[in-house]
Amino acid sequence: MNTTEQSVQIVSVSHSAEGVSETRTARHLNWIQFILFAVILMVPFDKSNASNGEELNCLICHKHRGLSRIDEQGKFRLFYINQELFESGPHRRNNCKDCHNDIDRIPHKPAKKVDCTQQCHIIEPSGKRKFSHKFIAETLAKSVHGKLDKDGKPKPHQEDFPVCKDCHDQPFYRPIAIYKGEAEHGISQRSITRCKACHKTGNFAKDFYEHVTTRLHKTRFSKEIVNVCAKCHGDSEFRKRHELDDVIKSYKETFHGKLVFLGSERTADCIDCHVVEGENNHLIEAKTVPTSAIHEANLGNTCRASDCHKKASPQLAGFQTHVTYDRKKYPLQFYMLIFFKALMAIILYFFLTMIFLELLRRLFPDFSFMKDNAPHHIVKPEADKDKP
Amino acid sequence: MSKYDPIVYKDGKRYFYRFSAHQRIQHVVLFTSVLALALTGFPLRHAEEPWAKPLYDFMGGTEVAPMIHRIAGSVLLALFVYHTIYWMVKFYQNHIMKLKRENRVTFMNIVREFFSQEMVPNKKDVVDFIHLWKYLLYFTNRPPRHDRMSWREKFDYFAPYWGIPILGPAGFILWWRDEFSHLLPGIVFNAAYIMHTDEALLAVLFLFFVHWYNVHYAPEKFPAAKVWLTGYLSEDEMIHEHYSHYVKVMIEAGLEEEIKPQHFGGRHYGW
Repeated sequence: MNTTEQSVQIVSVSHSAEGVSETRTARHLNWIQFILFAVILMVPFDKSNASNGEELNCLICHKHRGLSRIDEQGKFRLFYINQELFESGPHRRNNCKDCHNDIDRIPHKPAKKVDCTQQCHIIEPSGKRKFSHKFIAETLAKSVHGKLDKDGKPKPHQEDFPVCKDCHDQPFYRPIAIYKGEAEHGISQRSITRCKACHKTGNFAKDFYEHVTTRLHKTRFSKEIVNVCAKCHGDSEFRKRHELDDVIKSYKETFHGKLVFLGSERTADCIDCHVVEGENNHLIEAKTVPTSAIHEANLGNTCRASDCHKKASPQLAGFQTHVTYDRKKYPLQFYMLIFFKALMAIILYFFLTMIFLELLRRLFPDFSFMKDNAPHHIVKPEADKDKP
Repeated sequence: MSKYDPIVYKDGKRYFYRFSAHQRIQHVVLFTSVLALALTGFPLRHAEEPWAKPLYDFMGGTEVAPMIHRIAGSVLLALFVYHTIYWMVKFYQNHIMKLKRENRVTFMNIVREFFSQEMVPNKKDVVDFIHLWKYLLYFTNRPPRHDRMSWREKFDYFAPYWGIPILGPAGFILWWRDEFSHLLPGIVFNAAYIMHTDEALLAVLFLFFVHWYNVHYAPEKFPAAKVWLTGYLSEDEMIHEHYSHYVKVMIEAGLEEEIKPQHFGGRHYGW
């Protein structure tokens, strides 16, 4: 669920041109509604609220933008639900109670945290079973980010290991329009008409189209992936606890990192190298694990993945990505850096000193401790050699 | 050199020959490609700075800017090779041919001819360098009297001869990384990366502070020297920067009586 203003902007940006104007009008209407409600302090039953099949009609309260409180930990919590965003997200067909199943009356007590692995009332169409994210959670548990080690013992610093919402708190849902080989954001109305020709009932064509297309490409910008990983790996206290290098900083020094920060979507982010091609993104494994994408034996193939360095030899993987300029770990880089920095310092300090003194010298052109009384004009070139 | 008169007069002022059109065109190609390289390279070097993305987008973004960088790099590398050949041809024409005509082609004579070239560092440069520091530290009131090429100009000239052989091959390896990975171990790309990025910073800072001081910021040059366009230096600049050469040229032109005294300081220029 998107509850922040930031995600409101982001999602509206990613809509097509028509989508943006729709969004604006809709938001405009919401404002008018909000002002009306604030003045009258009564909520008329909006027809669109009923579309979610809400048995409790949670949006009676949660549609108000200011709905918030300070919780027991003193944290500011915003409980506003942007209905428009919610209804364009992947959970739009869930009822609130499917996830917040501890709430059975209004007004309610503080709700428990949502367990993403519980079964919800959505029937997964291929297997006709109730849907759950449990399998994803199991994959995550097997990965380097799992809370338990190989022997089933809890790893130290349990609170540092991520749960679903640590990475998926601000999803970007970007439907993709592919028409005549051109991919762009938003729904291609021209291609969806073909679906609608047969699948006329309700929103099925639109929903199915969005379900497939949002999963056809990355749901996050590469820069965002890096920032998600940096939430923990960019924290120096966290790195100290787990004895890790600053991989975020070293990644940003590679051409991959630089291009990502300049807006490229065609270069490798964390996931591209740390997940085996074709494998579930949640299975990030340590480099000591034989099946890991960054295990010595697999690294060559990871670089040569289908979208990346296809023509390279496995030797390309000898490139050290996360260089920290530590003298013992990366002696070559360390000494090269020292050499170039020293060269730069010597040359620049020398010339800048000279320029400074020269500008200063111009202020006192005739002053000098010793006078050179050689004739000031008509000095034959030969005469110059005698007097250094 | 016969094409160019050593001294020309315009509006009653004397101008002294320095660079041929051929050399000036080479300089334009050099600085155009270096500027293009810096503008498409430095946003990448400092990708996280706030100015990086706008500048990179202005230069074409992540798809086009690398292409500009590679084209400019290829041009610069080609110019480097071209200039080296140009120098070799000149050396052959002006020096080896002379030795041949005089029938004294020996190894030592060729070495001697090599060091007689105006661009090659020599003993006078050491003398001038020491003299400059005596002058800067107020131990003499007479600035050094440079020949046709001062040691500072030689340093400027040979800087690309250090920079391009480092930047060029490193850039080339990074460009064709997939192909080079069949020949070289991966660690070479780490080395190439440091060579390329750090040498580029040195080159750009040197050009920005030192070279641009010499031709832009220095009070008598500001806002910009014109010699790169005209190929000729004014008499004031000539006296200031190449007094020895100035005297030589004036005497050769039979203008010995009109030689002006050397000056360096502010009031002669009226600053």
